[in-house]
Amino acid sequence: MDQLKAVSWFVFIISVASILYALIINPPYWIVYAISIVFIPLTILSFGLLSMAKGKKEEEEDKRREPFIGY
Amino acid sequence: MNLMANILLNVTIAFLVGSILLGFQRKVMARIQMRPGPPIIQHLLHTFKFFLKESAFPKTAAMPFYIAITAMLCVIWVAAVIVGPVTEGSLLLFFAIYAIHKIVEHNAGSSSGSPYGKLSCVRAVFSAAAEVPLFAVLIIIYLKTGTMILSSIVTYQNQHGALLLSIPLAALMFFVLILSKSPYSPFSITKGKDIVSGYETEHFGILRGYLMFSESISWYMLLWIFLTVFIGGLNPVGYLIGMVIITAFVAFINALTPILNPNHSVMTQVTLAFIGIVGSVIILLY
Repeated sequence: MDQLKAVSWFVFIISVASILYALIINPPYWIVYAISIVFIPLTILSFGLLSMAKGKKEEEEDKRREPFIGY
Repeated sequence: MNLMANILLNVTIAFLVGSILLGFQRKVMARIQMRPGPPIIQHLLHTFKFFLKESAFPKTAAMPFYIAITAMLCVIWVAAVIVGPVTEGSLLLFFAIYAIHKIVEHNAGSSSGSPYGKLSCVRAVFSAAAEVPLFAVLIIIYLKTGTMILSSIVTYQNQHGALLLSIPLAALMFFVLILSKSPYSPFSITKGKDIVSGYETEHFGILRGYLMFSESISWYMLLWIFLTVFIGGLNPVGYLIGMVIITAFVAFINALTPILNPNHSVMTQVTLAFIGIVGSVIILLY
């Protein structure tokens, strides 16, 4: 498992757990706002990083190369 | 209702309705230009599709800022949903959110390392100089109603009638701001096709889907604020009808107007802002 995937899994689990905590425990409103603002975006981002397709290792270098490196 | 459930529900509604409205806008534009156009759900489908696409991050990108800036866009518009439909809080917070939106445009462009992104980044600063004065509409609303709190503004309108009728130039200014944020708008210089997709050029795959998710919420929220501040007291069906009408009107303008060059775009917006502020102050005085 590469580093990006490991971090994404970690963030996804923490984010979903925080949202479930706010849903079930019903903490003070400022904690709910903080969880919503931070963890809703992180849930979606980490889910996306996990669900995205990854290309072949040998082709990756070509895809990452930027054809325009500046003016 | 549980507060977290309320927030999740509103964010979901904002995303789904915003996506459908952006698809509807493309459809109306296409029909005006005698094209069949994509299905109305195309924007929504694209958003989901990009979450499954193969993604790679350019070598020239400034990591992790390149990814974090897309999260920032989502953070501010989720915050906008909380300030808006969930709590009906202060309009000043929307001003802050909109200002950060311009910063996100700027930094998404610069973090990618692409010259198209960098050019868009410069244009984002340029257009902020024009769009932020348009947001000065908030001052006029405060002068008229004596409050910045959305729920109080709605109450004011229930007693004195819609602000759309009493400060129409302020409504026009806000409408120009909405127009500026719509795709293919004459003022959308940060995403002009002369610079490919502007600050989004190097954000493809999952990151593009993520940006589109936030942009859908942003479109919904801008329309929601306009309807709440200038008409007020609408039920959900009223909001939906209002959003469809404004989106169709914006599509009509965008279909018939070319994207202006940066100088013309900024000068037009600044002129409209000047007319709006001075005109509104005169209306308030007499």
